[in-house]
Amino acid sequence: MTVTAASFRSSAIGRGAAAGAVAGIVGGLVFGAAMAAGGTLPTVASILRTDAPWVGFTLHMVFAVLIGAGFGLLVAHQRVRAGETVIWGLVYGMFWWFLGPLTLLPLLAGRPVAWDLVDARAVLPSLFGHLLYGGVTAVVFVMVRRDRLRMRPRPATGFRGALAGVAVSAVLYLGLDVMAGAALGWLFLVGTIAGLGYPLLFGAARERSGPALIRGTAYGFLCWIAAALTVAPLLRTGTLDWSTGAVTAAVAQLPPYILLGAGTALVFGALGGLRGWLFGDDVRARRVESPGGRGLRATGYGALAGVVGGLVFTVVMVLVNELPTVAGLVGARSPVVGLIVHLVIAQLIGVSYAVLFRRRSFDLASGIGWGVSYGFLWWVLGDLTLLPVLTGAPPQWSAAGIAAGFPSLVGHLGYGAVLGAVYYRLEARTNPWWFRRSTAEAERVAAQHDQTLGSAPALWALIVMLALTIPVLVSP
Amino acid sequence: MAGRERIVEVATSNALWGAVTGLVAGSLVGALMQFQGMFGDIGSVAPSWAVFLGSATAIGGAIGVITDHRPHELAAAVSGGALVGLLGWLVIALTLNPLLHGTPPTWTVAAAATVYRTLIGAVLHGALTGAALHGLWSVRRPRCGSGAAPVAPLTRVVIVGGGFAGVSAAQRFERLVLRGVTIDVTVISDSNFLLFTPMLAEVASSALEPAHISAPVRSAVTHTRFRHGAVDDIDTTGRAVVMSGERVPYDHLVIAVGSVPSFFDLPGVEENSFTMKDLADATRLRDHVIELLERCDQLTDPHERERLLTFVVAGGGFAGAETVAELFDLVHGVLHLYPGITADEPRFVLVHSRDRILPELSPQLGAYALERLRARGIGFRLGIRVAEASRDAVRLSDGARISTATFVWTAGTRPSAFVARIAGEHTRNGALVTDATFRVTGLDRVWAVGDCARVPDLDQGGAPFPPTAQHALRQGRAVADNIAAIIAGRPPVAFRFRTIGVLVALGHRTAAAEIRGHRFSGLAAWLLWRGIYLAKLPGTEKRVRVLLDWLLDLVFPRDVVVTTKSRAVASPAPEPGANGGHR
Repeated sequence: MTVTAASFRSSAIGRGAAAGAVAGIVGGLVFGAAMAAGGTLPTVASILRTDAPWVGFTLHMVFAVLIGAGFGLLVAHQRVRAGETVIWGLVYGMFWWFLGPLTLLPLLAGRPVAWDLVDARAVLPSLFGHLLYGGVTAVVFVMVRRDRLRMRPRPATGFRGALAGVAVSAVLYLGLDVMAGAALGWLFLVGTIAGLGYPLLFGAARERSGPALIRGTAYGFLCWIAAALTVAPLLRTGTLDWSTGAVTAAVAQLPPYILLGAGTALVFGALGGLRGWLFGDDVRARRVESPGGRGLRATGYGALAGVVGGLVFTVVMVLVNELPTVAGLVGARSPVVGLIVHLVIAQLIGVSYAVLFRRRSFDLASGIGWGVSYGFLWWVLGDLTLLPVLTGAPPQWSAAGIAAGFPSLVGHLGYGAVLGAVYYRLEARTNPWWFRRSTAEAERVAAQHDQTLGSAPALWALIVMLALTIPVLVSP
Repeated sequence: MAGRERIVEVATSNALWGAVTGLVAGSLVGALMQFQGMFGDIGSVAPSWAVFLGSATAIGGAIGVITDHRPHELAAAVSGGALVGLLGWLVIALTLNPLLHGTPPTWTVAAAATVYRTLIGAVLHGALTGAALHGLWSVRRPRCGSGAAPVAPLTRVVIVGGGFAGVSAAQRFERLVLRGVTIDVTVISDSNFLLFTPMLAEVASSALEPAHISAPVRSAVTHTRFRHGAVDDIDTTGRAVVMSGERVPYDHLVIAVGSVPSFFDLPGVEENSFTMKDLADATRLRDHVIELLERCDQLTDPHERERLLTFVVAGGGFAGAETVAELFDLVHGVLHLYPGITADEPRFVLVHSRDRILPELSPQLGAYALERLRARGIGFRLGIRVAEASRDAVRLSDGARISTATFVWTAGTRPSAFVARIAGEHTRNGALVTDATFRVTGLDRVWAVGDCARVPDLDQGGAPFPPTAQHALRQGRAVADNIAAIIAGRPPVAFRFRTIGVLVALGHRTAAAEIRGHRFSGLAAWLLWRGIYLAKLPGTEKRVRVLLDWLLDLVFPRDVVVTTKSRAVASPAPEPGANGGHR
């Protein structure tokens, strides 16, 4: 590497750290305000063996700036679209929740680390503070660093987003009868705002549905924090309530919000695709490959990978005696019928994975990442929602229901990991699409790679962390 | 180094480095956990340490194997590590740990709560390992990761010819590249599509659309360089293929140019005959026949009518038999549109030098085919050769003269003239002589497969393999394997293949087939023919299109649209060579 390139890189890193520090100030102020409202600033101050709130606030701001600079360093070279930096911010914030209040803060204060479930639950409000901090820091970071690609959505795009949000809300309301007790007006309001926010945050770039679906899942989580956990209590009682009890009560709305986010992303993309298909007269904009080409083979691979994943999942199903419930889908009780139904479902989900995520795995890690995230989404959609509804029960959208579904979540994550890994191997074996023969092709692949994977690792990590934080959210 | 071995070596090295990093990071996190007195609840301290460090090493190894190193993407490395750490927690803490203690895992929230402290340890450990590995790889390999291009120069393989043998070799090379063989493959062909020759006769009879039986080479081998153009020369000493004045260097050359019709220097045959080797030939023949019918519909001169309605095919092999049967189907299939021609007027003659047609089939099936075709009114002149052809007639070796405007030549093939110019040993008809591993005798790093090569069949005492598609396909794959073996420093393997079977379509709902000694005829063989060849068509799209053509053929009449002008019919005496017989 030449000296110029090295100095350029170090200066870029330096700029990233500086921008991160600035963003950290804003994030810290917002988080600090939330802490002041919750009265948790003395906890921070306890590091210096005092409980003065201003000491806590000062210390908190110092941490915020340092951690913000760390964020800048980490993502300085990440080529992502502006809005997707938010995902990095969220996962970074969540990671610091594990590292900060659960680990370093107790250690510095001379206490044992708070890694137990009970301890983690005690600092649950801080989790949302960290997520808020990460999100705000990321947004400010993007605004400070103007060199990043920004997309200004047009009114039509906003309308498309709102339409998608409302449509998904309507399906949730009509199809599932109730959105965990939410009023009709509130539901559509949230749908509209979530729909408007999606293109605002992530832009209107065309991409394959799979990555959008996963991003929508994370977006749904974000919406849940913003709407169900923050705005709704604020409007209701005028106070910010991130307490353990409030979270456990609000967790009932987490599945519908996740479905709302994922559905909005999917419908938003589909509407965009439909618009392009009907009215787009420039074929240069059509990069989508004809489905007939190698699609059939991909579908077969999806089915095969789904069956392999389903067999892994079967171990969990047998041990937790879930097969008779699955057999209930076809009106039977026999575990054998349940096994068959389960494998057929596993296969169908595998096929849908192939349709949604074809050529979106760039290495084994990305295959597993997409697969695990998709498995999580199917836990929410399948185990918590469709399975009870189709067997004549209301959706399992409650803290108790989610807790009861935790073994199945583990199974779904394992299923997704195997599905993604096997599908990636099959695709790589016969369809070496990243194998490039010309400069133009290599550039196209690199662009697609960047677009897809810019924020993908953050998405996967966020979703798995969310999945494994669920015991903290729901345990009694 | 062989590709697979190289991949295994890279993966092993990554796993080892990952395991070491995981162990170091695990020691740090473990020290913290020890300091916090966390090992107590999993059992006594000593085995817990062992279990913890073991799982940390395993997770580190997994992170090393599955995450690809991308420079400047520290954030991706950290979150990838955390992801693997979390999944590892699911497997180890939540599943294997209870099993080790003799209780079945339940994965309930309560079970998760008991080991939840190790989850946070797993997240920290994974993230730490990811970051450390990233730093390690940035130092060790500043520019390339495990999946990056190899540093060693690629072995350049050039395939001349885009037929069955050439394309199947290129497809095989694409597979081998995935297994890590470091090659750079270029296909050079003067036609940009792979023609499915078994269905050519159906194009001539208007039953199939020409484009439906051919697939672009570019889409058949999407990751191979393709150059459309004719090869001018091959410099075997300087190891380069010359095309349009440009030299394309190679390390290994595969000649798979196929064959062209051979006219044995018979007077007038090349100038006055149609051939059946490519799509243009088939369309030209079809258009010519329909134009003849158009003309005869209005013609009153009985001699001229007889001449125009006489169709002569030379050669009683697969191509000849299928062509005469399909011509018969075409003419009688559209005759209802031509009220001026009666059904007994068209006359079909097949001239064959041997006593029985279809020598590739068993005598019984050959006799069956002859009997079926004869029953339809097709005439046969067996044991007789074509001696000469002119614009309006064909003269046979017994002196007979058949007046005709349509003379199709399928009685001989030879490798293209270009092959004869390549150094190395040739057979009498110009084919390159190779050993059983396809290496051209007398040349280094030059290989030949398909119809242009004489490959000895070791199981048949060195007799050459017949020039059919099933052999060409397998020879293409085998030559790719052999070149990969040479690159890997292994000896090439002799090609052995027993013909699976032969199938010949005899027109409307009739065929003859011989598969592994089992004989089929009639409708069963015809269904077999259609099923097998449909499955063998290159690409799903073409299969669907041909299937649709066949289905539409059941309910709609054959098309008589003429798309090219044939001057042979525009004037009663065709200009030499104008009917496309020459090459």
